[in-house]
Amino acid sequence: MADDIKPRIRVPQNPKKGDVLEIKTLITHPMESGQRKDTQGNTIPRRIVNAMAVTYNGKPVFSGKLEPAISANPYLSFFVKVEESGTLAFEWKDDDGSVYTAEQKITLA
Amino acid sequence: MRIKVRRPWPAALKGSRSEVGDGRGALSLCLAASVIALLVAPATVAVAQTRAPAPLHLEGSAAPEPWTRYRGWNAARWDDYNTLARRDLTRPPGQEIEIATVTGDPKKGQELAFSRARGGGCLACHVMGTSSQETPGSFAPDLSEIGAAGRTDQWLFNYVYDARVYNPQTSMPPWGAHGFYTKGEVGDIVAFLKTLKAPATFKDALDDPQKRKQPVEDREALDPFVNPAAERIEVGAALAAKPVGNGKSCVSCHADAKAAFAGWATSMPRWEPRLNKVLGVEEFIYRHAKATLDVDWRMQSTANTDLSVYLHSLSNGREIRVDASSPEAKAAVARGKTLTETKIGQLNFACIDCHTQEHGALKWLRGQWLGEFRGQLDHFPTWRTSRGTGETWDVRKRFQWCAVQVRANELPPDAPEYGDLELYLKSLNQGLKLTAPNIRH
Repeated sequence: MADDIKPRIRVPQNPKKGDVLEIKTLITHPMESGQRKDTQGNTIPRRIVNAMAVTYNGKPVFSGKLEPAISANPYLSFFVKVEESGTLAFEWKDDDGSVYTAEQKITLA
Repeated sequence: MRIKVRRPWPAALKGSRSEVGDGRGALSLCLAASVIALLVAPATVAVAQTRAPAPLHLEGSAAPEPWTRYRGWNAARWDDYNTLARRDLTRPPGQEIEIATVTGDPKKGQELAFSRARGGGCLACHVMGTSSQETPGSFAPDLSEIGAAGRTDQWLFNYVYDARVYNPQTSMPPWGAHGFYTKGEVGDIVAFLKTLKAPATFKDALDDPQKRKQPVEDREALDPFVNPAAERIEVGAALAAKPVGNGKSCVSCHADAKAAFAGWATSMPRWEPRLNKVLGVEEFIYRHAKATLDVDWRMQSTANTDLSVYLHSLSNGREIRVDASSPEAKAAVARGKTLTETKIGQLNFACIDCHTQEHGALKWLRGQWLGEFRGQLDHFPTWRTSRGTGETWDVRKRFQWCAVQVRANELPPDAPEYGDLELYLKSLNQGLKLTAPNIRH
């Protein structure tokens, strides 16, 4: 299912100004480590999400470099303190050059 | 073509299971008819029974051939012990061994009793005094005062060596007769038992199996952030829409699969006359897809499990209502019940030993809570958190796991015995609401 790459985002409901929100992210991805061999003994080429970055209204709030030991379908969560309504922009970088993006609007009560 | 039962069936059951002839003459007609029938998607059972049967590829096994055990599982073979298919292998118990006084090393006996290295250790089922080093179970009697119970050495020795000489239906594995411990080691264990004379004390409620809280599974099973198997619903749905084999896909015929299959999984498994056995969802996926799409979605392949997850999910929230009304289905249910009472494997356990209240159900097996039959079949396929980074298992794989846990050779997932077992167990889960994929330890 290497081509079914789909990001998922989960943010808390009805946030208020000043709240610290836990943002959960999950991306369906095989995260092929590059260490495995196929039945013919050939190395299966590495293909992982190697980096993730998140901005809120353009300002970076979270970023990470991912390594081959990270499981398939990496699930990353982090906390953001929100002082204003805005948009979280997510970006995952794939070894094959693809970039997957997602956005999540946050409206403060 | 003839379908052959691959394994000898015990004489008592032979009458209900015979070879069947071919229905192929009618099959091409059925194929066209059933496509139409499935498109109009009758929702009730009564209508479903009158429509042409779904085309099935009837030849061969629906499982990988030859069947080999999963990687990472205990690779040992237990060819000398019963399986669900061969119930004539385990040697019957011998005579009570006469032994006046047991001499043994209690310290060595304690090490053997507490070690998990060989059958799992006594603490899995028994509390054994205050010296218990880890969370003990409550499956079997508390042995903390067995040394003061007035039992003879001979009784203690035989009870550990092979308790069947006193009680043929005992849940106690024949530790000596089945080769887990030598006679000398059983003597050491008996010497240790004789030192147990004071009631157990526990450091906290978690340690005491009588006070330990029953676990409750209340996670959001259908949330992919909680249950990684939940995202396989979409993967299965995508697979159903993808052209395969002969260029067609599931949705070529089942345009509105969501409506057509709503409730279908709650009616499975069912008796299938063309195969002369009980047919479950996963075997159906292989045989139907092979016949209609020319694709090889064998049981236990990722594709098969994904489709099973998807098809089960379309019945979520609906009550299980398997049909066990036909004479053949009734016979299958009866066979399934017999299978649950059959002692298998080196540990010599039957399903009922752990999963009925008369025996081990609703008790602790070390830190694991043993459930009853009812409540076990409403959540498959299920994500198993205890398996490495997690795996999605259909119910047949769970049956296989049980077999290997009691040290019996598992059967291929499409074995007719598993069909009988699944139908019997599912009939005991009648009325429970399906939630799949679910999540379990």
